[in-house]
This record gives sequence, structure tokens and C-alpha cells, in this order.
Amino acid sequence: MRTAIAAIAGTLLALAAAVSVVHYTNASQESPVIKPLYNYGSR
Amino acid sequence: MTDGTTARARHGAAALTGLVLGLLALGPGLARGFLLSYDMVAVPRQPLTALTFGLTGTLPRHVPSDAFVAALSAVLPGDLVQKALLLAVFVLGCAGAAALVPTRRALPRLAAGVCYVWNPYVAERLVLGHWALLLGYAALPWAVAAASTEGTRRVVRALVPAAIGGFAAMAVAGLPAVAVAACAPGDRKRRARAVAGAVAVVAALSLPWLVTGWLRPSGVPGAPSAVDAFAPRADTPFGALGSLLLTGGAWNAEVVPQGYGTGVPVFCWALLVLVSLAAFAARMRRTDRPAWAFGLSAAAVAGFGAAAFGVVAAPALKRLIEVWSGFAVLRDGQQYTAPLVLVIAVGAGLAADALVRLVRPRERDAPAGGVAVMVAVMVAVLPVVLLPSLALGAGGRLRPVEYPDGWDTAREIVRTDPVPGDVVVLPWATYRSYPWNGGRTSLDALPRYLDRRVVTRDAVVVGSTTVPAEDPVARRLDPVVAGGGPLVPALRAAGVRYVALDAETGPDAPWRARLAGAEPVLPGPALALYRIPDPARPDEARAPLVPTVMSWIVMVSLIAWSFVTRGTTVTRHISRIPRRGRAP
Repeated sequence: MRTAIAAIAGTLLALAAAVSVVHYTNASQESPVIKPLYNYGSR
Repeated sequence: MTDGTTARARHGAAALTGLVLGLLALGPGLARGFLLSYDMVAVPRQPLTALTFGLTGTLPRHVPSDAFVAALSAVLPGDLVQKALLLAVFVLGCAGAAALVPTRRALPRLAAGVCYVWNPYVAERLVLGHWALLLGYAALPWAVAAASTEGTRRVVRALVPAAIGGFAAMAVAGLPAVAVAACAPGDRKRRARAVAGAVAVVAALSLPWLVTGWLRPSGVPGAPSAVDAFAPRADTPFGALGSLLLTGGAWNAEVVPQGYGTGVPVFCWALLVLVSLAAFAARMRRTDRPAWAFGLSAAAVAGFGAAAFGVVAAPALKRLIEVWSGFAVLRDGQQYTAPLVLVIAVGAGLAADALVRLVRPRERDAPAGGVAVMVAVMVAVLPVVLLPSLALGAGGRLRPVEYPDGWDTAREIVRTDPVPGDVVVLPWATYRSYPWNGGRTSLDALPRYLDRRVVTRDAVVVGSTTVPAEDPVARRLDPVVAGGGPLVPALRAAGVRYVALDAETGPDAPWRARLAGAEPVLPGPALALYRIPDPARPDEARAPLVPTVMSWIVMVSLIAWSFVTRGTTVTRHISRIPRRGRAP
């Protein structure tokens, strides 16, 4: 039982890590947005 | 090891974990140079000026944090002060949250610490440059722990980082401390005494910005139009309220961590948050819940309510601001979800503890103990795995830069000039995207770089909304500067000695043509400086000096008093946790 829980948790963590890093990498390759020079931010 | 030594070792482990996370989050940002990101500006040596103490007409949002930085930067390079403060947020926050988890197991407590300093709240506020708020955020767990015990000195000590941070920091750490004192177990008399003590401490530590804010001659402007600009926004598929619950939802779309809010990771994060909240709620139903549990829960609910107010009742908030401008503090409501983040972090620790209990071997020497350790480590690293974009300088958004040639020269020119007068900064805006800062948005650095009163147009533009200026001098100069005519006569009459151009500094820049009559003393290209001959004496209504000095004396004396005692640890509550089972 304990080993099964550990195995499941490990698999989920590895999956989450893989998906998360791929997701982040894809997001960081999006085209940059040209921002107005003097704005505080945008919504 | 004795109990005390064990406790110290555990706090040390959590602090070390916080340090590692801080190093990971700042990454390349730790190299020499200054991090300029939205409201965070660091300069080589920040002078102590009237602005530093909130004595000018501007709202004292930077009081007393700027004075603290200025004092430190008198003995240390400014960039090192900045990095040390940012790392302190991670160390203090991680150690404080870890210490709150009612277990003797180290790993579940580390899981809480990691969750508290590695989440969308920290990521978004870090990029927004709200380091002073984050000081209060880091102080929150300590304040919660201190307020649940009798001892005003401990509350003062715990709130020192929040006192340094100023208004926002005190709001997220001090008010929950009052709530914890009000909900602590014990008879009514004891509770009343604890609440009175906490309120007095919070008020006394807030005096430097309270006094200058209240006595500011031009009052506290409200600007109801800013409600929509600064209301929490949805950065996940779960709407604005769901995003707030998931610890994100800051108003600025540009500070959302890359990759956050979409795809599978955000659902995993939502699951972690829900499980953590469930674990915290389950603990609340037990009789051996921590003394601070009810108070922190009340603060979390109130904080979430304050944040949600700008989302679900924006017209009501605008109306309230029209009635009393002080309600404007509720505009950027997402910052008040800090107690909720702490609840989630402690809940994550409790969930990890429950999981460890589930898988740990019953026999002391059973080899399967490694499984429990592995499971606990997995829960602890989950926030980092699900939010990788906070790492390495928040995904590259925090990169150190050096000020270009000319800035130091300008400072020396201004400093050595015996003729009094203000400095006006052009272009007429307060945020910049300096090319030498990679085009990243930041507050104009000149008000902190120069040791004179520096006037910028502090109206802020968010998307298509312009929030009106608050500085009365900027408001008075606005028709002149925003118009198209010659600037020098009007600026001379207003007591302006220098005009600094720190953007659009090319030789054909339209601003230069309007400065006929001013003497160019620094040509550029990064910073051009013009001197206006014979300016009038600046005549600015300021906050009164005597009450301001008194407020500082009270605050500093209170802090000094709190440390003049034996046993200055603020984590004494940990050693009282009954020993149950074996720690992994």
C-alpha cells in the first residue's frame, strides 16, 4: 500500500513537472507584446 | 539534542530552504546591478530627503521603507541592500510559515514554507516590485504566532519587517495579528488586553506613514476611476474570484508568471489549494487546533472579502471612495489575500503531514521510512514544479542593470549646486521603459537618485485608464508641462532649478525645443540636464515636521524596547507542540 502510494505520487509529480516545464517553455516563446512606453501596466 | 536545539535546527532548516528558494527565484537577478521592475527601484546610494520621510506633498506609500533602504545604503552598496531585502522575504516567509504547522515532522513544515514563498501571490507581487508589501507578507506568520500568545514585545518584534514595509505591509501583517488576538482562547478580559496591546502596537508602528498621510496638506485623493484599473483580474480559467482563491489575480496582466493560468498545471495547482484548504478546515474542527487558527481564518475570510469587493461590488466601492477617500486602499484588493495564502500554506503542510502518517511504517526501524520521506518531499516541491516561471529571476523579468553614464554626473551637479530649487523630470510621466533596462517597466528612478525634491507627473496609466496625479506640485504644473508652450518661465516661477530628461533624449526631442532659456549642463544621451537660472524659492505645503519626528521617535523607541529583553525568539510556541510519533 505504502509503496503504491509512493509510486503513484512519484508518477504524478514527474508528470506534473514534465507538463509544467513544457507549458512554461511554450509560453515563453510567444511573441513579445509591444507596450506603451509610459504605462504602469495593462489589464 | 535538547528541545531548544532541535527547534533551532528545524527553524534553521526552514530558513535555509527559504534562502535556497530565494536564490532560485532571483537567479541571475542576484548579479551585481539594480533590479528595476514596476514599483521597485534601487539606486547606488539613496539620499535621505524630505521625500524619504513623506514630508513632501506625495502620499507616503514609501514611508518608512525608503528611509530604511537609505540608511542601509549609506553603509552598503544599494544593489546589495536590495538583494538582501528580497532574500529576507523568502527566508523569513518560509521559516515563519513552516513554524506554524502543528507537527514535529520537518518535511511537512517545509512543505508549508515552500508553498508560502512559492506561489502566484509572491511571483506577481515580486515582479510588480512590491518588496515592501512582501516584507509584511513575510512577517505575517510570525505576527500570527506572536499575537496568539501573551506578550506585547513579541508582537512588536514580529511586526518589525511590516513596520519597515509601511502601509501595505502593516495591513497584511498587523491587522491579522489583531484578529488573532481577538479570537485567541481565554477569558474575555485576557482577550481584551491582547487586542488592546495588538492594536496599540500596530498603530504605534504605523505612525510614520499615518501621521504624514493624515497631515498631508492636500489630503488623501481617492480617484474612484482607479477602482476598475486596480481591481483583481482573472489570471486563471476560474474567473477573478477563483484566481484570488488560487493566490493570484493581481490587477496587472503583465506580471502574471509565464505559463501560469492555463493548461494542466493550473488545475493541479487548484487541486493542491483545495486539498490544503480542506486539510486546514479539518484541523480547525479538532480540539487541539492552534490558538491562532480562528483568528487567521477570520483574517483570511476578511482579506478575501476585501479583495473580492472590487470585483463583485465595484460601483459600491467607487461610491464609498467618493464619500471618504480612505476607502481607496481597497482598490488593489488582491494584496489583502495574504492571510488566505498563509492558510493554504499551513494547510499544505497539514496535508503533507497526513500523507506521511498514512505511509509511514509503524515500526521505528522499518526500511519503508524512506517512502514517507519521499512522499513528503514530493508535496514540498510541488509548488516549485507547478510554477517554474518564478525561478531564475521570475522567468527573466528581474535582470540587474547598471545606471548609464551621466546619472552619477547629474547627481553630483545637482548635489553641489547651492541654489535651491526642485527638479522636474520629463517626459511628463512617472513610469519608464528604459532601453538600458531591457524595456522593462519601472518607476522613474530620479526621485530616489537625486537629493532634491523631484517632481514627476505621478498620474498612472493602466491600459486606457488614467488615474489622476496625487502630488499637488505635479497637479499645479500639469497644465503648463502637458501644454505645448515654453516651459522655462513657468518652471522658474514654480521654483524649479533643474529639468531632467531621462527618456526621449535625442537632439530633436520635442521637449528640448520647449526649454529655451535653460542652460544645458549635461547633454545626454541617457540623461540630459538643464539648469534654470534664478528660480523662485520653492513654496510647497508640507506635512508638519514636529509630529513626523515624534512619530519616528515613538516607532523606533517601541522597537528598541521590544528587543531589550531576554529570549528574543519569536518561535517559542513551536517547542510546546506535543511529541507524537516519529518525524520522517
